[in-house]
Formats: sequence, structure tokens, C-alpha cells
Amino acid sequence: MKGTIGQSKVSRRNFLVGAGTLLAAPYVLKGKALAAGQVVVRTPGGAYDDIMRKFVYDPFTAETGIQVVPVAATVSKLLAMFKANNVEIDLIDTGEGPLITLSRMGALAPIEYDKWTWSRPEDVAPEYRRPDTVANFVYSSVLAFNTETFPGDNHPKNWVDFWDAEKFPGPRMLTDMAAGSPSLEFALLAAGVKKEDLYPIDIDRAFKMLTELRPHIRKFWDSGAVSAQLLSDKEVVMGCIWNGRLQTIIEKGAPLNYVWDGNMIQVQALGIFKDSPNRAAAQRLVDFMTQPDVQAKYVAALRYGPTNLKAFDHISADLLEMMPGGPKSRELGFVQNTEWWEDNRDKVNRVWSRWILG
Amino acid sequence: MPLGPLAKWLLLAPAVALLLVLFLTPVGWFISASLMELGSWQDIWDEVAAVMGTGVIVRSIINTNGISLAVTLLTLVIGYPVAYAMTRARGLTFTLILVCVVLPYFTSTIVRTYAWMVILGRNGIINQLLLGMGLVDEPLQLMYNRLGVLIGMTYVLLPYMVLTLFATMKSVDGRLLQAAAGMGARPMTIFTRVFFPLTFHGVMAGSLIVYILAMGFFITPALMGGPDDLMMAMLIEREVELSHNWPVAAIMTIILLVITLSLYAVYTRFSDSSEERLA
Amino acid sequence: MSGIRLENVFKAYGDATVVRDLSLTIPQGEFFTLLGPSGSGKTTTLSIIAGFTMADRGRVFINGRDATRAEPRERGLGMVFQNYAIFPHLNVFENVAFPLTVKKVPKVEIAKRVADALEMVKLTGFERRYARQLSGGQQQRVALARAIVAHPPIVLMDEPLGALDKNLRYHMQMEIKEISTRLGMTVVYVTHDQEEALTMSDRIAIMNGGVIAQMGPPREVYERPQSAFVAKFLGEADLIRVERQSGCLVGPGSLPVRAGEDNGSLQKGQLFLRPEKVTLCDPGTGEAGCTLRGKVHQVAFLGNVIRFEVELEDGTIILSDVANAAGIKNFPVGAAVDVTWLPEHARLLED
Repeated sequence: MKGTIGQSKVSRRNFLVGAGTLLAAPYVLKGKALAAGQVVVRTPGGAYDDIMRKFVYDPFTAETGIQVVPVAATVSKLLAMFKANNVEIDLIDTGEGPLITLSRMGALAPIEYDKWTWSRPEDVAPEYRRPDTVANFVYSSVLAFNTETFPGDNHPKNWVDFWDAEKFPGPRMLTDMAAGSPSLEFALLAAGVKKEDLYPIDIDRAFKMLTELRPHIRKFWDSGAVSAQLLSDKEVVMGCIWNGRLQTIIEKGAPLNYVWDGNMIQVQALGIFKDSPNRAAAQRLVDFMTQPDVQAKYVAALRYGPTNLKAFDHISADLLEMMPGGPKSRELGFVQNTEWWEDNRDKVNRVWSRWILG
Repeated sequence: MPLGPLAKWLLLAPAVALLLVLFLTPVGWFISASLMELGSWQDIWDEVAAVMGTGVIVRSIINTNGISLAVTLLTLVIGYPVAYAMTRARGLTFTLILVCVVLPYFTSTIVRTYAWMVILGRNGIINQLLLGMGLVDEPLQLMYNRLGVLIGMTYVLLPYMVLTLFATMKSVDGRLLQAAAGMGARPMTIFTRVFFPLTFHGVMAGSLIVYILAMGFFITPALMGGPDDLMMAMLIEREVELSHNWPVAAIMTIILLVITLSLYAVYTRFSDSSEERLA
Repeated sequence: MSGIRLENVFKAYGDATVVRDLSLTIPQGEFFTLLGPSGSGKTTTLSIIAGFTMADRGRVFINGRDATRAEPRERGLGMVFQNYAIFPHLNVFENVAFPLTVKKVPKVEIAKRVADALEMVKLTGFERRYARQLSGGQQQRVALARAIVAHPPIVLMDEPLGALDKNLRYHMQMEIKEISTRLGMTVVYVTHDQEEALTMSDRIAIMNGGVIAQMGPPREVYERPQSAFVAKFLGEADLIRVERQSGCLVGPGSLPVRAGEDNGSLQKGQLFLRPEKVTLCDPGTGEAGCTLRGKVHQVAFLGNVIRFEVELEDGTIILSDVANAAGIKNFPVGAAVDVTWLPEHARLLED
């Protein structure tokens, strides 16, 4: 069984789309070439890898001689690896949610905070630290809008406005279940719930709010790329979107802007497989990545926010303004409760499916 | 040279081994391991009842089959003339049609789908054109609904239909058509009475391939469809990736597999009886 | 006027001329055969008559009407194709009914005429079978029934018996001939098998290189070929090199030879004889003027015939077929013999 398990889903899916099961072979072979002096990191891939290589992986290799190998893997693949006792990845860089799932399964090794040399654990904000995970950046879902449709000050300023299709007409977008979680928090804010009282989420109430707005929603997006496309093509005139994606298209000249009011801060974190072949090296990379000046560089490049509060010292004032998890973002927004979502995602998924098809 | 039964099996062996190692084993492992999580048969049955009971899966099965059927008919209607043109074309024209047909496979699904967004979007090329010519007052909703799903999937699956039909049409004995003409049949009669019946098993084969492939689609409908264009593979994907509820995913997988295999069984029975005559 | 007439029909594919200014007339009711080796243009000629191929030049008349540019379906011809071209998706009944169904003949009428046609080819009871369930001979009969079911005045047949074994082929030759006679059809028949052509035809056109080398009734073209090509193509031929010396033809060994219909115009040529017209006798017993000397090279026993191969003095091999009848005289290999014939059986051909 060993060796075929990690790609079981991949081959099934490939069969379904007819692309041929052979495509899965590289996944089986790749993980085997692990040598001493390496850390294999699961990353979101794409441009993320380039930035991390420049500001983290290469400097880390220069200092320690340890090579960093980024690989792509879905959450289910990580689960399958663990269940099949065939761990081929050392460090997991992913949303906090999946890491909590893995943590609850006992898949993760404790973060060795006491052995840190580059970073000081107490500099990392306490809500970003767990015994076996540590956040490496935060990002924010914000309310964005088209400045041509809503020029000057006449634009939606919060989620109550977003739900008001008479005052602010035009097609909108929110997240799909497939993006990880549908926009239940925003629905409740629109219903007048205070941000301190969002959790535990009143699922029925949130879906009632979604039903109300549904005729005006062109698309529930399930990936960052789609959300950016919808906004920049003016397919929708407002919607929730990850701030990093939004900044990128604004800088390319899209007539868009956003408000911090009701922004939802979400956490990306690191975790180490307890059975991983290069645990020690992975612990060192976590330590290295959390340094204030290193973190300041990569979060600035990614348009995300730091978790080491000392990193703010290395960030310019105007950049601080637009930084998720920065002073303004924390004041007007809230941190998504990942634990609640881990407890309730299955249930929300079922309600969502019924709602979507109903 | 006719092959003995042993030689036939030897030739098949690599394909069988590949299927066994890369498909049946992982799927078998996934299903059994997932269902084992549930425990007893009673628990498994309860979960099945729960999954079916919500109606979501039933709606999704109906959606999936409806979309697959529509896509199959569309690829057939579009693909049949294209395949026929290919059998008539020579040299550069043939190469040109072939390249156009298989071109989708030189780009990734994602890139292709974004290209569709540019063309079909609210402010896309088609809508700009229609608005510019004054044919419509409002942009048409060409995607993020069922129409978008059908356009996207038809485009992606068209090559399977065209190439299958092309192979069948190419094997039609031209002398039969000539014979029909010699016996007084008009071109339309030759098509309906001779050419189409002779390519019918290709139509069935192509339709089956497209239908079965369409059943497993999830990227294109997710990107180009509306919220209620929920296909089974998308549901399974979500159970695996988001809910991490593998037992439910396994049950859905079995349902999808059973539907697919039943279709295949119907097809083989059908094609056996028609091959018998044509062999 | 009924029948078929071709006028100066010309067809080329690129540089290759396939049919070269061919003209012929086939009267109503004639069984006409186009015979020739492959590449001689016989199938193209048939295809031009059928309308599947358009001639580059020249005209085609069918039943007196100019059909040069007519579609195949407008020509009203019956056809039997090489390899039969039986529709695999239709059963025997539907196949035979095809020419009637496309003409929208009423169902009752179709049933009756298909039954008649099948009876004529002795296939009654096979209506529900498909092609793959039939033997080669049965498939051939289906093709034949389909060609005649609409009672076309003209039926074209393109090597219809090519795929059958020898016994069956002879049997089918007889049946086709009988049916065509009974229905009074004009048949244009293409074959490369000379025996078949001789057996069936009223008239044969032997084609070579896109032209008709000779045309005439079987017996005439067999016995009085006008060229060595026709002589050799229609069965075995003995050809002996001769030249004229002071008015007389002289063969190998400087022996004088005579040929029928020799008007003395040719200075040299080949003396043609059919092997069955050549007899052997003891040396010195042959009649002067139609005797050559040689010795037996080989003897082959062919059942009804014994074939002697005789080597003449210049090395030419002459065949002599002798009926295997009572009192036949045997000559062993190596024996010296005289080769003789009747002067009227010999013809002088150009080189």
C-alpha cells in the first residue's frame, strides 16, 4: 500500500477528468529523494514560492546550508500521508484551519519555542501562537468596491451597506463553501450582530441573510484568482476579497478601493509533522522565518501582515495603513475563529449544499 | 496474423496492471479505509441514508446527469460535422482542423477558463460586440450560470467526440456510399440511410466517453457555473478537502462509480449487438 | 436508341492517362465484357459509364440520352460492386430493397419485387440475415439481386466474382448469364479473368494501356487475335518468330511455314498458334509448309489434356495440348519430334 496512498485522490480525479493516471506518478516519486540537509515545505505555490525563496529560503540556506524544497499538496493529501504513515513533507505552511485538523489528529510535533535563537517567542502575538503551530502571516478579507460605479464618498462603507441593494445596486460576490468557509460572519455583521458576538455563529440566521442577498450575487468565488478576475473585469461591482489579491490588481490600475470596516483577519500558520524525516531542520526554519526583519520583508512583498509584532518596526508608515493585522485592521475588524470553523465546517457544508440547491 | 488467447492477454497485461495499480488499488483503499472509519455495516448504512436523505446528493445526481447529457448532445451536434469535414479534408486544411480541435489540450484548464471569462464576461468581447451593434441593451449573462457550464464543458470535451467520430467515419467503406449513389439515393438519403447508421456506433462510443468524462467534471463548472451548478465531483471534492469527511466522500464516490459503470454496461450490451452485425 | 455509347472518352489522373479516346457501342441486350490486366483502364471505363468518374473529354450516351454530366442516381443503372458493397447495417431484405426504397416505391410492391429477386438468385428464406452471416457466394447473390431488383435495362458488374473460389465462380457465371438472358438486360462486365470473359460474353473488349486492343465475340478474339498481346492475354499462345524470304515465310531451322490470311504484306512477324491446334508426330512425318523440328523439353499431365513443351532449333518453346483420349501417342522427354498444324489455324502477327 505504501507509496500509492498519497495520490489516491489524485488518480481517482484524473480518471474522472480523463487525463490519465500516469500523471500522478511524479507525486509518488518526488518525496523519495530526501537527503540530509533538506526541508520539504508544503506551500500554497505560485508567486508565493518566489517571494519566500528570495526573502526566506535562500537566506536560510546561506546561513545554515540546509536546502529548502517547496512542494504543492492539498490538505487531503497531507491527511492521507499521515493516515498512511508515509510522511514525505516536513513543514506545512497552510491555513490555520487544516493545521488544527492535523493537530487534533496528533499529527504535529510541538514547536520548540525554547530552542529559538533568531526569534523571541514572546514577540509573536499570543493569539498567533499554539503549542504545535505558529502563525507566519495574517491576511484579511475586506469589503472592496468599484470606484467608477461608486465615485467619491458614495460607496458602501460596511456590511450593512453591502446588503443594501437598493442604496448600492449592482452585482456582488461572496465566498463559496469551496473557498474554505462561506461569508457567514459578514452576513451576521450585516444583520447587526456585534463583532464580539459573532461566535458561535448563528448558522440559520446567517443563511437567512444570504438568502436575502442571493439575487444580487453573481458568483460565490472559490479561489483568490477568480475573485480578482471578477472585480477587475467589472463582473461584480463589490465583494469580499483577500486584501493581498486586491492590492495586486489595484496596483495594476483597476478602479477599486476597500474599507477596513468589518474586515476578517485570517491566519496562515506553520506546523511540523511529528514523523517527518527532517524535523530538526524544520524547527530551525520556523525560527528563522519568524524573525522580525525577515517577516517584515516577505509580508510586505505579499501584501499580508506580520505575526511577530516587532516586525511592524521594520515597516513604513504608509504600508502599515494597508496592512492586515495592522493597527487599523485590528481596530475595525475581527480575527476569524478557526477553532469554531474546525468544529462546524462539516455541518456548514451540509447546510450550504442544501441552501445552494434549494 | 490472428492472435492466440494467451498473446491477447499478454498484450493487455500492461494496461491491466496499470489500471490495477494506479486506479483500482487507490480507489479500493480509499473506499475501504474511509468506510472503516464509520465502523459497523449499520453505521455505514445510517450514513448512506443520511447522505441520501438530505436530497442534496439526489439533486446533484440530477444536475450532473442533466449537464452531462446536454454537453454530450452539444458535442455531438457540433462535433459530427467537424469530424466529417476532417474525413473530407486533405493536407493543410486537415492539419488546421486537427490543430483547432486538439488545441484546448495545449493549455491548462485554468488558463482556458480565464480566457472564456474574457470572452463571455459581462464586459467581455461578445457582450461588447452585441452592445456596440445595438443588438442588446443589457449585457447578456453568458457565464456564472448553466449556459457558462455548457459552453466551457462542451469546448473541453469536443475533441473526444470529434476524434472518436473521425476514427469511425474514416473506417466507413467509401464504396458503400458510392454504391448507394449508384442505386439512385440522393445525398441526404445516403447520409440518413447509410452514412449515419454506419457511424452510429461511433456516435454511441463518443457520447459515452463524453458523458462519462462530463460526470467527473468539477473545475470548469466551479469556475464558469452559477452557485446551483453543483456537480457530484464538486461535492466529493468538498467532502474530501473541506469537511475531511472521507466516509461521505467514499459513499458519493461509490454512487458516481455505480452510475458510470451502469452506463458503461448498457453501452457494451448495445455495442455488442450492433458490432455483431457490422463485424 | 437503347444501350450504351461512348464517344472519344478520355480520362487522365495528372500525367497518367487511364482511358485514351475510347469509343464503343453496346447494343441493348448484349453481354459485354471489358477484359484486361490491372491498370488497363477497364474499371475506370466502367466507372465513367456509372457516373462515379467524370471523363475529361468525350461523351457518354445511355439509352440514347447524353448522360456525360449526369449524377450516378440519374442514370438508372443496376450495379454489382467488387466486394459486393453490401450494407452491413441492413439485412438481406433491406439491402435488396434499397434501390426501391430510395425511389419511394410502395411497400407492397417492394416486398413483391424483393421476393422475386431473391427467388431468382435462390436466396428465399435469407431475408433476415446480415452480410456477416452469409457465405461469399450468398453475398454475391445478394449483390446480384440488389442490382436487378429495380429491373434496370443496364447492369454494370465490376469483377463481381473475384472473391469466389473456382468451382463457385463457374456456377455463378452460369447463373448470372442465365438471369441476364432471361431479363434481356444489357450487361457491362469487368474482369481480368479471360476464361470468365470467354464463358459469359457476347462480345469482349480487350483493353491495354487505356485503349481497346481488340473487340469481338469470344471465339473471334480467341482464335483470331490481332496482336501478340491479345493472343497471350486470352489463354496460352505459341508465338514463333518468322521472316519472309523471297516471298515465302521461313521459321526456325530455315523451314518454310504458311499461315492463313497471309496477304504477303508483312516482311517479318510472329506466327501465332493455339496449343490445342498444334500436334506432334515422329520426325520426318510432318507435312512440309506447316512443320517445324524440335525435341520434347517437358511433359505435363493436366488431366483432360497432356501438355508437351517442345524446344525448337532456335530455342523457342512451343506448347502442344493433346486431348487425353484413347490411342494418344506418347513422346518421352528428349525425343525428336515434328511440330505440325493446319495452315488455317496459324496467323501471322506483327511484332
